[in-house]
Amino acid sequence: MKKFTAMVMVALIATLMVFAQGGSEEVKEVELSRVQAIIKEAEGMTLSELAQKAIEESNGKTFYGLGNSSRGKTALPNFIAYLQTIDPSYTLTPEWSQPKNNSIFTMLAADGVKAEGTYAMTLIQDGNQIESKMVQTGLLDRFIPKEWAEANGTTAEEYDGYLPLQTLNKVFMYNCTGSKSYDNFWDFVAPGEHGLFMDVDSEVVGKNFLYMLTSPQYAKEVKAAYDALSAEEKAVFDPTIKAVSGDAEGLGLDENGKYALAWIKLWVESYNAQTDDGPICNTLVDKSATDQFGLIVYSKLRSVQESDSVSKNNIKVAAYEDGYTGLGGYGYCHYLFVTENSPLPWTACAFIAYMVEEVDGFSAWGKDIGGYSSNPVLAEKNEEKFNHKVGGMAEDGVTVKFAALNDRGYEWWAPRLVLEDPEYCASVSFTVGSWIDMLTKYSGK
Amino acid sequence: MAQRQLSVSPMRLRWNKVKTFLSKPYNVILLIMGIVVTISTIAPFIAIVKDTFEIHPGTIDAFLSKKNSGYTLVNYIDLFTSRLAKTNLWIPLWNTLLLAFWTCVFAIIFGGTTAFLVTRTNMAWKKYISGIFIFPYIMPQWTLAVVWQNLFNSNAVTGTSNGLLAALFGINMPIWWCKGLFPSVVVLGMHYAPFAYILIGGIFKNMDANLEEAATILDTPKWKTMFRITLPMVKPAILSTLLLVLGGAMGSYPVPHYLGLSTLSTKYISLNSKYTGEASILAIIMMLFGVIIMILNQFSLTSRKNYTTVTGKSGQTSKINLGKAGRYVIAVILVILTFFTSIYPIISFAFETFLPNPGDYSFLYTGNTDNLTLKWWITSENQTENGMYGQMGMLYNKTIWNAYKGTLLTAIACSLIAGSVGTLLGYAVSKQRRSKWANYVNSMAFLPYLMPSIAVGVAFFILFSGEKLNLYNTYTLLIIVGTIKYIPFASRNALNSMLQLSGEIEEAAIIQDIPWTKRMTRIIIPIQKSSIISGFLLPFMTCLRELSLFMLLCTQGFILSTTLDYFDEMGLYAFSSGINLILIITILVFNALVNKLTGASLDSGIGG
Repeated sequence: MKKFTAMVMVALIATLMVFAQGGSEEVKEVELSRVQAIIKEAEGMTLSELAQKAIEESNGKTFYGLGNSSRGKTALPNFIAYLQTIDPSYTLTPEWSQPKNNSIFTMLAADGVKAEGTYAMTLIQDGNQIESKMVQTGLLDRFIPKEWAEANGTTAEEYDGYLPLQTLNKVFMYNCTGSKSYDNFWDFVAPGEHGLFMDVDSEVVGKNFLYMLTSPQYAKEVKAAYDALSAEEKAVFDPTIKAVSGDAEGLGLDENGKYALAWIKLWVESYNAQTDDGPICNTLVDKSATDQFGLIVYSKLRSVQESDSVSKNNIKVAAYEDGYTGLGGYGYCHYLFVTENSPLPWTACAFIAYMVEEVDGFSAWGKDIGGYSSNPVLAEKNEEKFNHKVGGMAEDGVTVKFAALNDRGYEWWAPRLVLEDPEYCASVSFTVGSWIDMLTKYSGK
Repeated sequence: MAQRQLSVSPMRLRWNKVKTFLSKPYNVILLIMGIVVTISTIAPFIAIVKDTFEIHPGTIDAFLSKKNSGYTLVNYIDLFTSRLAKTNLWIPLWNTLLLAFWTCVFAIIFGGTTAFLVTRTNMAWKKYISGIFIFPYIMPQWTLAVVWQNLFNSNAVTGTSNGLLAALFGINMPIWWCKGLFPSVVVLGMHYAPFAYILIGGIFKNMDANLEEAATILDTPKWKTMFRITLPMVKPAILSTLLLVLGGAMGSYPVPHYLGLSTLSTKYISLNSKYTGEASILAIIMMLFGVIIMILNQFSLTSRKNYTTVTGKSGQTSKINLGKAGRYVIAVILVILTFFTSIYPIISFAFETFLPNPGDYSFLYTGNTDNLTLKWWITSENQTENGMYGQMGMLYNKTIWNAYKGTLLTAIACSLIAGSVGTLLGYAVSKQRRSKWANYVNSMAFLPYLMPSIAVGVAFFILFSGEKLNLYNTYTLLIIVGTIKYIPFASRNALNSMLQLSGEIEEAAIIQDIPWTKRMTRIIIPIQKSSIISGFLLPFMTCLRELSLFMLLCTQGFILSTTLDYFDEMGLYAFSSGINLILIITILVFNALVNKLTGASLDSGIGG
């Protein structure tokens, strides 16, 4: 009887193991949705192969894209023109939307529950919310183009992160029509300073910048900038540092955390919130904005037209000035995703690959300063074509026409920027985040 | 004989009753509308209540409950008891109440005084003032906020670009003037003053002057006549204005957003990403205010019975003589005031479309025409970088023109449906005005109007963005929501006008066996066409420039108001100004067209 029981048990366990194995394989297969299956196939294709698939799929249709950047509107027609070089009869109606006030997540979530969505793909920022609201909920799918992976020395299987189109930098700039200068990161939170900045509740990457300051790596930088201040200057900030040291401990930050928290507190309580970087840029480049500063997307300078009161020479990039100490701004990524219910997944993959692999595909962003491709090969070609490093020089190549337009490039900027780490942001979003929410924002003089 | 009568079965009796009941068209209308308005009001409310208990991945409720799905009470607990309660709830709530109250006061004083001057005095240039006074209501409300910023902001005080006053004259207005409660009240007050003007003006125009004259003969002091006779007579109109403006001001998002005031609606938007469930509670609070306003409205309707003498037409409506100089002095003051509220914004919008950079007024103090440009209008491609953020000029900008088409489609559909349904509803309620069901239907239909727009938008967004029922980002959704919100415009107009109609008129037609449709189209509607057309015109006009209601239901290029808001947020004032001009011209053209064809207009001839 014992033998029989033992045999039955062994048979049962063996059967269960087989079922369990088979089951897990089955689950894996079931998990791969229609779009995911297409993505998997697409990850092994070159851009020209993808383009062929896109032409078959979307000829004569409308392509809806949603993004945090308005330039998708320019990139889409370039993509269509590229497909027309393969098939001249190809047509596609491009529709690009750029939602404001962080509503891109609401829109994608609302569209994501439809059996077939409106939006084929998205270009989205804020890794923190992307992870918790979009990826974990299965609304967005990651697609890693073959040639992009190769350029980065990896493969779709090996690569672990999201696909970044580019890193953008928001940098401290100030109006230089007066005599004031800013030579330390702490100068931006000195008494009486009110930097122009997009409200952190309107553009959450701004809040991520503040979260990142509390990470050991950047808190150390904040402390180093503090150390470079004179004793008199330090005395101005010491009471705040002392006041938040308990909070820093309570929030589990390291020994430099109190410097980060002090800077954040002074910043939130002093910055002058604006609706977008556009109005901030318009303010700063006007000669009436003497001694004003802002923390804005570097590329906004492209849109400034010279006039009697407005000039790109009315502005200086703080980090470019000799003797400047500390962080010069922050960097965040624009990520590319295919929507899980994409109506045109092949076209979405082709468009994404086109943007991260071709100079023309990236040119909507690449033609201007302040946006750095995640593809090193493309970044090099882009610089060759647009010469951003000398973008502010006159035609003679010697005279500096607009100093602020000479973009020093990603390698120069990277160590001077606070770079967003979605994982860290997510981990402190409701600890440091709630602490920030408690601060009283500046509401005017 | 008696036995025969008794032999009729109760079922048959009931059936006969039902048949008789349904043979009257107004009963059918009330029955259908009762069901429709109940569902359309209750369903979104239930959806939003459910949302407050739901766990939203990546938000505070998921963090606090340590779950990614399911239901929880933490949103309520956190919103009301956390350290952030003051910032996230109590301060915005207090600001909302202050904003709503003072906007009402401003609108009633400004609109009421103008209505009094236009209708009851011999002030000069009444027709012009009457026409121009309603302009701020035509324009999207936040455009006045943008104009306010462009006029009064200064680098020295607000830390932004110099506005016109600072740029041209070096005048720096104080911060309380530029940001916060005061400018929000003034801007919203100016926007809603035409409401007060139309409602109060309507009563002033028809008011029997004998009462005031009797007081004068009895040597009553003028202040006493004003407070004891004139004001009580216009009290119903003041109450109506109060209720209508209260809901509107509470639900306004763009004005406090642009002018830096934290209210429930601005807080809803800022909380929505991280505190989604708590934001829905804020929307519920706004909705509850709508219910309170409805109860107040019911109360005011009952109390209006005391003032029925007001509605009678007077044989003599004498005008107060302001004196030879006085009639011009007061008119000049009003002309100047309305210049700033109505004409200046239009000039400012037009001028803005020719500036090289947004807010760059170099031309004004240099006179150099190089500081002007046509690029915002005529640029026909978006590849060359010319400071237009990848946009084509307005004449070639498909986003703008597609949004314009979408707006027209939505506004026309809302106007036709809300106008027709509202008219039928008003007719049916007037026929059964003593019935409790009719009163219920009337109140329920009015409720969405009294609720803050943003809360209604939130509720419908939640209701219609689910897996099974998903109308997000469709014109169908905008038309449904717009129709529900604007039915009261038509139903109130229709109800008031139907109540003026004697029942004998329709009864005479019934005796002659004229079918109901013919009675409506040949007798009732033609008699009250002016008022009924207003019920179509108001939804149309309001829909054209509605933002708070639609902003959560569609993407930015879907309709013109969301496109306009997008450009304003981006600081591309040339585009937003151009869109404003397009909207104003559209409304004026439609208003003039309707006025020409039917004699109906928005100010309904108050200016005489």
